[in-house]
Amino acid sequence: MNRSRFLKSAQEPVKAILGDRLALVGLFVLLSIIAMALFAPFLSTHEPLAVNEREEGSLFMRSVDGDQVHWLASSPLGEVTLNAADYRDGLGMAVGRDGVVWRYAGDGWSPLDTPITTTLNAVNIREDGATLVAGAQGTVALWSPDDTWQTFEMPEPLSVNDIAWRDDNTALLVGGGETVWLLNLVSGEVTSLESPVGRGFELNSVALDTDGSAWLVGDRGIALRLDPQDDSLSLERLPGNRELNHIHIADSGAGLIVGERGTLLVREGAQARWQSQSAPDSRAMRAGWITDEGHAFAVGRSGIVFEREPGGEWQLVPSDEERHLRALMVTEDSFFAIGSDRFVNRLAPPSGEHWFGTDHLGRDLFSQNIHGSQIALLVGFLGAALVVLIGANVGLVAGYFRGRTETVLMRTVDVMYGIPFEPFALILVLLFEPSLFIVILAVSLLTWRTVARLIRSQVLSLRERPFVKAARVAGASDLRIMYLHIFPNVMPLVFLELAIIVGVSIIAEATLSFLGLGPPQSISWGGILHNARLSGAWRDAWWWNLPPGLLIMITVLSVFFISRSLELVANPRLRARR
Amino acid sequence: MSSRSSYLIRRVLHGFMALFIIATLLFFLFRLGLPDPTAALITEGLNPEERERIRASFGLDRPIWEQYLIYLANILQGDFGYSFHYRAPVADIIWERLGNTMVLMLPAIVLAYAVGAPLGAWLSWRRGSKVDTSGIFVGLMFRSAPMFWTGMIAILVFGIGLGWLPTSGMRTLPYEASGFFDKIFTLDFLHHLILPALVVALYYLGSPLLIMRNTMLEVYGEDFIEMARAKGLPERRILYAHAARNALLPVVTQLAVTIGLAAGGQVVVEVVFSWPGLGREILNSVRTSDFPLAQASFLVMAAFVVTLNLLVDILYTMLDPRVSFK
Repeated sequence: MNRSRFLKSAQEPVKAILGDRLALVGLFVLLSIIAMALFAPFLSTHEPLAVNEREEGSLFMRSVDGDQVHWLASSPLGEVTLNAADYRDGLGMAVGRDGVVWRYAGDGWSPLDTPITTTLNAVNIREDGATLVAGAQGTVALWSPDDTWQTFEMPEPLSVNDIAWRDDNTALLVGGGETVWLLNLVSGEVTSLESPVGRGFELNSVALDTDGSAWLVGDRGIALRLDPQDDSLSLERLPGNRELNHIHIADSGAGLIVGERGTLLVREGAQARWQSQSAPDSRAMRAGWITDEGHAFAVGRSGIVFEREPGGEWQLVPSDEERHLRALMVTEDSFFAIGSDRFVNRLAPPSGEHWFGTDHLGRDLFSQNIHGSQIALLVGFLGAALVVLIGANVGLVAGYFRGRTETVLMRTVDVMYGIPFEPFALILVLLFEPSLFIVILAVSLLTWRTVARLIRSQVLSLRERPFVKAARVAGASDLRIMYLHIFPNVMPLVFLELAIIVGVSIIAEATLSFLGLGPPQSISWGGILHNARLSGAWRDAWWWNLPPGLLIMITVLSVFFISRSLELVANPRLRARR
Repeated sequence: MSSRSSYLIRRVLHGFMALFIIATLLFFLFRLGLPDPTAALITEGLNPEERERIRASFGLDRPIWEQYLIYLANILQGDFGYSFHYRAPVADIIWERLGNTMVLMLPAIVLAYAVGAPLGAWLSWRRGSKVDTSGIFVGLMFRSAPMFWTGMIAILVFGIGLGWLPTSGMRTLPYEASGFFDKIFTLDFLHHLILPALVVALYYLGSPLLIMRNTMLEVYGEDFIEMARAKGLPERRILYAHAARNALLPVVTQLAVTIGLAAGGQVVVEVVFSWPGLGREILNSVRTSDFPLAQASFLVMAAFVVTLNLLVDILYTMLDPRVSFK
């Protein structure tokens, strides 16, 4: 019988919600959000906190505006990394992963069809326009200007990292395992040269010197010199022992070697010695170029570009994006930098891959927003339940017992009213470690005050009603009267407050998370906005700001709509004359 | 003594009691909960003797009970102490920040109520219509959107996108002002005020709107409205002269409560718009363990709330003859 009384008191609110169109819409939206929270792992397209990477055939162009030098990002060449590029007499070539080859003529870039599927690391154009490309697993192929390909067999499937032309029919190939091959293009014959080091160091780059000799550089700062007379290799001493990635020697004899951790070695002329120069940044430099006059350029990871006036200091030059640049291509009138390794796909606008774009760490925002619903609802409902539990009981006890009990409880409520929410929550978070529990506690500790006041005033009038007096005369205990006779009558009000406080709690949690006081390592809508603000990128990345706020808004709005129909139950006079 | 004045005296005493409890609570919460304020100085390479000297100069080396009693005695004399962080009297800092908060919050709240209450009355008159539904929808929508988010979007659209309004601070930097009023009686200040004030006002709009509308609906059922109608008075006159006047009481109450809570400012709005108000200051002071400043800021806020709540009660006893003084 008692159970049926409670059921009855719950029946009316349900009827009220089902009878109100706005409330129905609210219920539908709220249920969708609940479903979103429950099925978040299935709905999200990515791991919400995983860093997403991308690669592309990045292409940067040097632009000079007055004194200001800037490397501008042009539209990328395809979607795979480009590793090397060369240019000679109006023809440019860039090669990359999966055997990709791009051809540059004065009017722009176009892809070439190739029989190669392995990664290409090196490219060098001969005087007649024939181009030798080489790469992983001993791949070596020659492209002729009549658009035919000729491939060569290497003795071992070692990675070839760079190419130089010894003469029109002989190419010098260097690569992994201290490999140095001389390839005769007419006969297809390959001669292996013995390195004096013999420890299997990777050779990364080769360049011809003005006297016909060749410089080979690689791992651990190794530098070999090839004598053109007898094809013998000798070890050269260069300053430093960091890995050297690229060497370029100009016709005048000026030379530049770049390497890991900002290594820059410069030779001012054919007879000069290699000298280490200080770099403005210590990231890995992947390619360098020096002009006959000694004007030098170096590019590397994260879009780093250095430039040096002849004889001057190296300067960091701004570039558009943090792409990992791997090669330089210099034509008569322009400089190109190309790349790029896999780079973090940061601040990407919405696309088919990332529906809501990505944040400053390249994390998928759609998945974050989906997962954010979990904390919002958890705090919203748990917080509200706790608030109503405390508030309703305090109100009930204070209103029913009156006297000293009431005074103490209601004075406590007064004190609670005097404490501002955010700073108090901040203290709680500093007192304890930030956690979900603390957030819920902070939300509920300062919100039950309203509920207590409302319930108490309702109870005050209810306890004077005849049915309460009748129960008392019949010998019912205080507890029985409070919870079985009075409580069902304040149920509509309790439901109404529950609904309102759910909305309040969700906003409160979002506010705390926005201020950086939310549980760490968890995803919430307020937290997403906190990251956006902290990173400073929110001023441009609208896709980062908009969805979490909209989601908070529609969630809270749907709860408010539901609460409005409950209000009609709690306060029937609002229904009057409708 | 009349029952009214004894009621008022009791209410004032209760207010003071609440403030005393809050002050005590804050004192021990801060002392026991927050890190030592000199801890931050240690990392800057301060030797232990130097640190002890600073602790002594702030009185932090004394027993906590002694600190507590000194603190209470000082408050009673209106002395809030000396900020560790700013190395300046706390009172000066707080009054300035409170002023900054109030020049933002008061216009915003007044605007919200000046627009919201009449709008709510009008909606109640058109109850059940499309206008009513969309009015409620808009009011609830701004109430549901977190204020910091509305602020960020407003900055994006009006500040950065359209470039119409400044988005941070109270004045264009650098500026010179000899005093508080010199600072705010300028067009530049008004220009800076528009965006944050609108954001706050939009948030608060829903509250007077809904309260007014709902109370009006209740009032329509009262006998004196029937009476007015029976007398053949025009609908408009019944609405504004009879119903609205009686429905205003809960709105005024809510207004007073809201203003009371406004002293704390909307921390998030002050953060988003870099407004140098009390709310932002209190966050900073707790973060830097600046006990005197944090305690005083909390107390000022609490005093505001308690006072305004008291005013509401007094207002009720004067405006609504049905309230008894028990």
